[in-house]
Amino acid sequence: MYYYYLRNNYENLMYIYLPIAEQPIHSLAILGVGAFLGLIMGLVGVGGGFLLTPIMMFLGIPPPVAVASVANQLVAPSVSGVLSHWKRSNVDFKMGTVLLLGGIVGSSIGVLLFNFLGKIGQLDLVIKSSYVIFLTLIGSLMFAESLRLILRTRKGKISRGKLHQHNWLHGLPFKMRFRKSKLYISILLPILIGIIVGILAALMGIGGGFIIVPAMIYLLGMPTSLVVGTSLFQIIFVAANTTILQASQNQTVDIVLATILLLGSVIGVQIGSRYTNILKGEYLRLILSSIIILVSLKLLIDLITVPSDLFSIIISR
Amino acid sequence: MKFYFHIKVVFLFLILNTNSYAQNQIVADLSQENVKISTDFQGAKILLFGAYDGKKGDDIIVIVTGPKGLVTVQKKEKILGVWVNTKKVNYINAPKYLSISSNRKIEDILNKKTQRISEIGLNNLKIRVQPGIGVINEKQWRQALTRNMLKSNLWSINENSVSLNKDALFRSFLKLPSNVITGQFEVKILHYRNSKLVSQQINSINVSKSGISAQIYNIAQNYSTLYGIFAVFLAVLVGWGSSLIFRKV
Repeated sequence: MYYYYLRNNYENLMYIYLPIAEQPIHSLAILGVGAFLGLIMGLVGVGGGFLLTPIMMFLGIPPPVAVASVANQLVAPSVSGVLSHWKRSNVDFKMGTVLLLGGIVGSSIGVLLFNFLGKIGQLDLVIKSSYVIFLTLIGSLMFAESLRLILRTRKGKISRGKLHQHNWLHGLPFKMRFRKSKLYISILLPILIGIIVGILAALMGIGGGFIIVPAMIYLLGMPTSLVVGTSLFQIIFVAANTTILQASQNQTVDIVLATILLLGSVIGVQIGSRYTNILKGEYLRLILSSIIILVSLKLLIDLITVPSDLFSIIISR
Repeated sequence: MKFYFHIKVVFLFLILNTNSYAQNQIVADLSQENVKISTDFQGAKILLFGAYDGKKGDDIIVIVTGPKGLVTVQKKEKILGVWVNTKKVNYINAPKYLSISSNRKIEDILNKKTQRISEIGLNNLKIRVQPGIGVINEKQWRQALTRNMLKSNLWSINENSVSLNKDALFRSFLKLPSNVITGQFEVKILHYRNSKLVSQQINSINVSKSGISAQIYNIAQNYSTLYGIFAVFLAVLVGWGSSLIFRKV
């Protein structure tokens, strides 16, 4: 018989207990973060996972759970993205399939690596330092690029570089014809790109769009119109493979966290894609790159400043 | 609910006064013996109450001990400018929850020696380091364990938190934080008179996951691949659904 049924806080009814992260979290805060990143995704076309995972870590979600759950939520915006690109016939399924073969191999390697790093106790360090490296790289490249574009359009000069160059990469064996992309190239290169992106996706909880898009344009020489749709197509499978493997190998996918995030992001993307003409693309990218640089700085500071306590504990469940 | 609780307390009191109960016995009960971690769990506050055959100046100490198991303490060192976990010590039977509550300062109730013998106090617990691995300066690791467990609210010392009434009734609130570990919790109530144990009682609390939260956790542990596939399926469904809904708007 229960006499009293007391709770700590009556006012915090918005808190929801995450079953895998094993902690309560404010559901509106997570929904808001999801919506905000969805908005950025809709406005700029990039910026899902690689901002979401660090923000989850800042909110106190253990890095392994953050990475795995973000990979899960990435499936949703990728599916809706591919559907809209498919309608406009902007997906090269043949190229996407070759890429995703590499991606599945890569993400499987990534999950194994993730498991191994967890066992030796260096997972948090590797996740955080990979984020510092990649966010700094992407943030500063994007910042420089958008600043250059802004300055150039102010001066009134618009110039275009070559889209497609032939180099030694086109001399590799196992060539295949990709009619949609108007390419005749070795499949080794897209497979290798897929593997690298797959490893990063599994380790960092990202789709890898920010690596695969430039790689498709500059290394493979694909037409820009097909790049986003095709990369989203392969991200669906890489993220799905990562989710299933993370769930079966490491039990780190928090379905409650992922669901709240993806509900937020799905709404955000739709709002974002409706207001793309509010700000010019290069200004949006300038803002986004500043956010990315700030996030990577915060992560870097956490890694290099003297911790308040040199000792920490792990309580095994 | 509250009414029944009062009746029960009065009833306990009557038993003691009519001497039908054994002398020097302590009787205690908990407002909640099963704590369920469900989707809205934010920690629990349990009322411990009871009666004891006391005299003026008697003391009550309540020790709640959670499940014991492996707790690893890690130490960071600077390598190439970055702070990296380099050393670790495994404590194999550390309580994953511990709260010590009393009606006044424990040092006023028991002297240092008695505290050590009866394992009362955070530093008097016998927690073993994993055998086979030599530990240099074990004291600093043990201190780090205590400090971090206190910081995570899993361990606590609550002096003056047991309230006594007319040397016959006592009550105390036991707080379980939201990050509490599931399992069996032992609630030991000790009644001291002039630093000597007069009587004691042991109750228990069972903390378990329940509802959707428990089911999700169990499925994730036991049917992990299926869980992963379902998580992907759900995300695909939401992604596909959203493009259908928003296209029409």
